[in-house]
Amino acid sequence: MGEILMKKFFSKDSFVLSSFDKAQRRQSLLVSIVLIVLFIFSAFTFFNALYAFADFVGSIVSGSPDAAIRDITRSLPLILSCFMSIWGMLLFHALFRNVSDERRIKSMKKNAIALLAFAAVNFIAIIVMLIMGKFHSIVEGAPSPLYPLDSIIYSLIYVAIGVFALVYLKKLQEKIPYVVPSRGAVVSKARGLYCTFMSFWMLIALFSTASFFLGLFIVDFAHGYLLYCIGLMLIFFVNMLFIGVWEFYYNELKEENKKAFLLPLAIAGLVVAIIAIVLYLTGLTTGLDGPSNAGFGVLPVAFAASVNIATLIVAFTPIIVSVVAVIKGLLLRRKK
Amino acid sequence: MKKNTRFIPVLLVPLLLTGCGQVKKYREHLDDYVFTMKYHQNFNILQLTDIHWNINSSTYESERYMDKVLAEANKHIVDTQGAGAKIDLVELTGDMFMLANSYHVDSFIKYFEKKSEEYGFKYASIWGNHDRHGMYNPNWIGDRFAKAKNSLYFEPNDDIYGRSNFMINLTADGNKGSEVKWQIANLDSGASFSETALSPFRDYDYIRTEQVNWWKEEHILANATTTIDVPGLAYYHIPQEENQKLYDEVQKNPTSHKNKFFKLEGFADNGNEEYASNFLDEAKQNNLRGAFMGHAHNVDWTVTWDDLVVGLGVKTGIELYYAHIDTKSEDPAMKKGLADTGITENFDLIGASLVTITDEESNIEGKFDLEHLYLNERKGGDFVAWVKY
Repeated sequence: MGEILMKKFFSKDSFVLSSFDKAQRRQSLLVSIVLIVLFIFSAFTFFNALYAFADFVGSIVSGSPDAAIRDITRSLPLILSCFMSIWGMLLFHALFRNVSDERRIKSMKKNAIALLAFAAVNFIAIIVMLIMGKFHSIVEGAPSPLYPLDSIIYSLIYVAIGVFALVYLKKLQEKIPYVVPSRGAVVSKARGLYCTFMSFWMLIALFSTASFFLGLFIVDFAHGYLLYCIGLMLIFFVNMLFIGVWEFYYNELKEENKKAFLLPLAIAGLVVAIIAIVLYLTGLTTGLDGPSNAGFGVLPVAFAASVNIATLIVAFTPIIVSVVAVIKGLLLRRKK
Repeated sequence: MKKNTRFIPVLLVPLLLTGCGQVKKYREHLDDYVFTMKYHQNFNILQLTDIHWNINSSTYESERYMDKVLAEANKHIVDTQGAGAKIDLVELTGDMFMLANSYHVDSFIKYFEKKSEEYGFKYASIWGNHDRHGMYNPNWIGDRFAKAKNSLYFEPNDDIYGRSNFMINLTADGNKGSEVKWQIANLDSGASFSETALSPFRDYDYIRTEQVNWWKEEHILANATTTIDVPGLAYYHIPQEENQKLYDEVQKNPTSHKNKFFKLEGFADNGNEEYASNFLDEAKQNNLRGAFMGHAHNVDWTVTWDDLVVGLGVKTGIELYYAHIDTKSEDPAMKKGLADTGITENFDLIGASLVTITDEESNIEGKFDLEHLYLNERKGGDFVAWVKY
C-alpha cells in the first residue's frame, strides 16, 4: 500500500498537467514562474514593512506616539510597496482560481484595481510629502540611496503590471483560451476561517522566505551559536517548503489524488516541523543569548518588544501549519 | 568525483560558516586590545548615544542634527578652553542602529569619517543591544568599523563575552610602550537573553565576569608603565544594577550621594540579582573614575559613588523615543531634574555629554569635568543649554 502510494506521489499521471498539451504546460509553467517572482518581491517588501512596523511599535510602547507617527509616515512608501507586491501576487494567483472565466476575470479585475489604487496612493503620498518638505529631495536617501524615487519607480512597474492584467482580461473576454490547473472554489462553509488561516499562512510564508534568504547573510553562524542558527534557518526553510509543496505540488494534483495524499503529506510535514523545532529549542538551550547575538536581524518584532514569546511563535509556525494540514487530511478521510 | 569524496564540500560548509578561526585566549594577547592616543590636559571626550538610525529614519535630518551638536560642542570647547582645543574622542555608546540596513551603516561611517577629518577627532563605537538587530550580519558591521580610517574598534575571535571589548590608553607620547596617563575602557554590555528556552520574556544583558577580569588585567598592564594607579573611564551601553541601587539610596537619603539630571524612566537593566555584574564594584577599587552608558533614553541621571561618577549620557537625536521636559509638569522626577539644571523652559532631553580630563600631564590625579548638552532644533533659533555636573 505504502509503496503504491509512494509511486503515485511522484507519478506524472497524478497531476492535472498530465492531461495538458505542450502549449498548455508552457502556459502553466509561465504562470508559476511569474508567481514565484512576485512572491519573492512580496517577501522582501513585507520584510521591509515589518521592520518599519517594529520601529513604529517600539516608539509606541516607549511612550512616544509622536515619533511613531512621524516615522511611519516617512515609511509609507515602504508599506505601500508591500501592499502593491502582495496584491500583484494575488492578481496573478487569481489565474489559479480557474473554476470559471467569469470568476477568474472578476477576481483579477478586483485585485488589479486594488493594485492600481495602492500605486496611485503611493505616488500621490510621495509628491505630497515632497511638497510639504517631509522629503527634502526626490532622492533623499535612507533606507536606500534613491529613496523615495525608487518607490515611485516600483509603483510604475506595478501600474504596468496592473494595466497589463486589465488589458489581458479584455482579451480573455475575447475568448483567448486559458487553461492553467484549477484550484477549485473556496467552499462557503467556514470560508471566514479558511481565509483567515490562509492569510496568516501567506504572511508566515512571506516572512520565512525573506528571512531564509536574508538570513544567509544576516545570521551570524560564526559567533558560537551554530546549532541555534541552523535550527532557526531550518524553521524558515520548512515554512518556505510548506507553501511550495502546497502551491506547486498539492494544488497541481488531480482531485482524486488530493484526498489520498493530504494526510501522508501533512504527517510528513509534521515530522519535519517537529525535527526543526527540536533542533531550534536544543540550540536555544545551549545558548540562551543566541537569538540576540546571532539571529535577531531576522526576528524584528521579537527584539523590538524585548519578549521571547515572539521568537517562540516564529519557532512554532511550522507546527501550526502542519497540524492544521493533518486535521484537514483527517476530515477529508472521514468524508470518504 | 568519487562517491566517498563527493560529500567533502558539504562537510566543509559548517566549517566555512563558523569561520574556521581559532578562539584566541585574551590573556595571551592583552596588548592587541589596546589603542593609544596622546594625552594632554583638557582631553575632550564627547559621548553620543542611542542615535538609533532605523529603516524609518531620515538620515538627512539626523546628520543635520549631529552637525549642530558637533559644531556646538566644538565651539563650547574653544570658548571655554581656548583656541586649539578640540573634541579629541567621540564615544558612540551603543544603539547607533536599530532595524537598519547596510546603507545606513555605510552612510553612518561615511558621516563620522567626514566629521573626524573636519574636527580632528577619533571615534570609538560600542555595541548596544539594538546594533545587532538589523539587515546585516553583525560581523560585517564590526568589519566596517574596524576598517574605517578614524575609527577605533577591535573585534577579535576571543574568549571574552561580547563582540568587542577594547581599551584606549592615553599615553605620554601617544604610542604603546610609553607611560599610560589615563585608560578608557570600551565594553560590550551585550544584548539580551532568556532565562530558559521557553521563557516568555527576555532579560537585558550584563557585563560578565570574564570581561571584568580582562579589564583588571589591562589595568595592571597600564599600571606597569608608570608609578601611579592609572585612572580610568568606562563606556558601555546597558546600565548595570548599581545605577538602580544608587538611585534607591538617593531616594531614601537625598544627600547620600551627589547626583544630578533627569531620571524619567527605569534604567532598563535586567534587575535580577542572579544576573548582576560586579564590574563597578571591582572597577571602583581599581581607580575607575567615571562610568558612562546609554540605553534608557529618558534618563541622563548621574551620581557620584565615593570617587566614581556613574551616569547615563544624553540621548542624541530624535529617533525612536525621547523625553519632553515640561516646566509645568507635576512629576517629581521632572521637577527635580529641572531644579538641578536650572532650565526654565520646555525642551526635549536630547543632545550629548562631554567629559574633559583636566589633569595636568605631569600630575595625574584622576580629575575630570562632566557637562551635559541639551540641543533642540527650533524654527525660531535652536535651543542650546550646557549644564555642568
